[in-house]
Amino acid sequence: MSIKKFIESVKESLDLGEFEKKGKKKSLKHLLEKLHSRKEILDKVPKKKLNKKEKKAYEEEMAILSLQIKKAEKILEELNSNSSRNSKNHKGEKNGK
Amino acid sequence: MFMHHIFRSFFAPILILLLFGTMFLLGHYPNISMILGGIALFLIGMEYMESGFKAFSGSLLESILEKFTSSTPKAITAGFIVTAIVQSSSLVSIIIISFLSAELITLTSAVGVIFGSNIGTTATAWLVSTFGLKIKISAYAMPMIILGIFIPLFLKSHTWKGIASILIGLGIIFLGIGYMKEGFESLKEGIDLAQYAMAGYAGIFVYVLIGAVATVIVQSSSATMAIIITALATGQIDYANALALAIGANIGTTVTAALGSLKSNENGKRLAVAHFIFNIITGVIAIVFIYQLTELVDHLAAAIGIGTENYAMKLSLFHTIFNVIGVLTVSPFIHFLVRFLNTLFVPKGANKGKPKYLDDASLALPSTALSAIIMETKHLYENAFDIIVHGLNLKKKNVLSDMDLNEVIKDLYTRGSFDIDDFYNHWIKGIYSEIIEFSTKAQANMPPAHIEELYKLKLASRDIVEAVKDTKHLQKNLLRYTNSSNEHIREQYNDIRKGLAELLRNINTIATTEEEDVIILLISKAKVHAKRYDILTNGILDKLIRKDLISKEMATSLMNDSDYAYNISMNLIAMAEILFIDIKSDLKKLNEEMSISNEEVDLLIKDNK
Repeated sequence: MSIKKFIESVKESLDLGEFEKKGKKKSLKHLLEKLHSRKEILDKVPKKKLNKKEKKAYEEEMAILSLQIKKAEKILEELNSNSSRNSKNHKGEKNGK
Repeated sequence: MFMHHIFRSFFAPILILLLFGTMFLLGHYPNISMILGGIALFLIGMEYMESGFKAFSGSLLESILEKFTSSTPKAITAGFIVTAIVQSSSLVSIIIISFLSAELITLTSAVGVIFGSNIGTTATAWLVSTFGLKIKISAYAMPMIILGIFIPLFLKSHTWKGIASILIGLGIIFLGIGYMKEGFESLKEGIDLAQYAMAGYAGIFVYVLIGAVATVIVQSSSATMAIIITALATGQIDYANALALAIGANIGTTVTAALGSLKSNENGKRLAVAHFIFNIITGVIAIVFIYQLTELVDHLAAAIGIGTENYAMKLSLFHTIFNVIGVLTVSPFIHFLVRFLNTLFVPKGANKGKPKYLDDASLALPSTALSAIIMETKHLYENAFDIIVHGLNLKKKNVLSDMDLNEVIKDLYTRGSFDIDDFYNHWIKGIYSEIIEFSTKAQANMPPAHIEELYKLKLASRDIVEAVKDTKHLQKNLLRYTNSSNEHIREQYNDIRKGLAELLRNINTIATTEEEDVIILLISKAKVHAKRYDILTNGILDKLIRKDLISKEMATSLMNDSDYAYNISMNLIAMAEILFIDIKSDLKKLNEEMSISNEEVDLLIKDNK
């Protein structure tokens, strides 16, 4: 067995492949928190006091924020569903053995 | 010319004569030939070990040196450990110079690593005195070499090739030591070098000089130490003179480092000066206190169980002790030393158009080469930033401030003209071509993941160059129409200036902030705002023509120039995504998925109308 294959099998048996995904999930959750708190701050802005130009900028920022939150939530959901599917498969394989 | 001709005519015959002379001498004195052969083998072995460690450790060495050098004690420890393991202070120096060039570590940390490396290099003496002299060549050295040669035939990975190289290197080193030892033993039967032993300070100075000269010739203090230890073990030199030779080897190695730094950049030269100062101070201390140090070695040797007659190991102990004392003495003054070093080799004159980070020393390792390219691309962007800002007739300080953008565009950079072509030729072209050339060289030793990063960086450089070129095309009409009496065309061109000023300001924020949400929002906003230049779709051009507010010529210019402005924006956004986002670890994992597409930009514009 080459050293590369050996490392791969160790990674597989220790579930280290999930490590990268977990790092990504953590970054994503962190980003989502920041985006949500930014949105909360924007929500508190008294819209009536804004002039036309400010209102346009406000709406633009809100639209971008909402889009980014939606995107981040979708990616997180996919990551969660993938990892739960993988863990089920892993357990299945082990039981099969 | 005449001298050059004479030199060329006589060089080859002189060289041939010297070669024949050497062969004749070595033929008549086989013992000397055996010693020299041993030294040659030792040096070859060191080379094999160094390349083996490079391949075996991959980026591990770099990671250790990068992460564990935040304070001087840590830097000294890291330098000591890494050098002791890899047995090569020159490899550590190469990594440190490339880190300095890429600004991955400070000069203070780099000096600390070099200090630690000096202690680490004494491990070679321990290796030779502990194992080298006792090892049976047939039992260990030969099997090591054979194993090292056979491993790569079956195991093709980089790691195994590295291990094989280390085994071959170690085997050849032991073989070299064996030959040196045998040579000195046989030589003793003919000539007894010990009869030339000199006592007192006169002897110390003479042998320090011999040690230094030998190291300059052999180009390796480790090899000199190996010669000294084997000569000492075979009784060819006196113990006291061996101590002086060891001090000389430490001084001589700075000449090797200084010669090596001649090809290096200012950082390499500064480190060579630091190395020189350190070794000279250490050498002076060792010479002045040599008798006290000898006593200290005797006490310590007895304490750790080294026999009274085991001079080889006592010499290794002496070598380590005086280097440790050197580090303890010089380290408290490291900040003064760094302050002094920073006054040396300061580049004179305008260097804005010359590469700052592309040092050939960085090419030794893929990650340092990549860091150098990242830094140089940022340097290219800094230059491009100045050109674009001035090409748009804006003041840099205003763009970088929080001044209202309407005020920014009113405060003109010049009433005259700004020759972008001239600045492009002096500040951009040279650096860009150097980045491409350096990248091509670096690519040869890079793993696939690094090559992918490198490709992106090359794209970022190209984006920067394209943005400058487009600014040049835009500038002609921009100067003309921002001074036009037609307020409508003036307003359109000022809107272009305002939009690009906003983009440049946002990119500056992206480059300096650590907040991922801010970066992602600013990039998305920049993409949405770039669409303002699509005047055909958004109806602005149509309105201006229909209401006869601008001439046909103005309309054509505006259409073309809006295209240039759009291209500048998109190139700069693409560059920022690679240069300022892609390399930030957390966002690197998310950027591609979080980046908004063209369709999403259109949707946002539609919703916001």
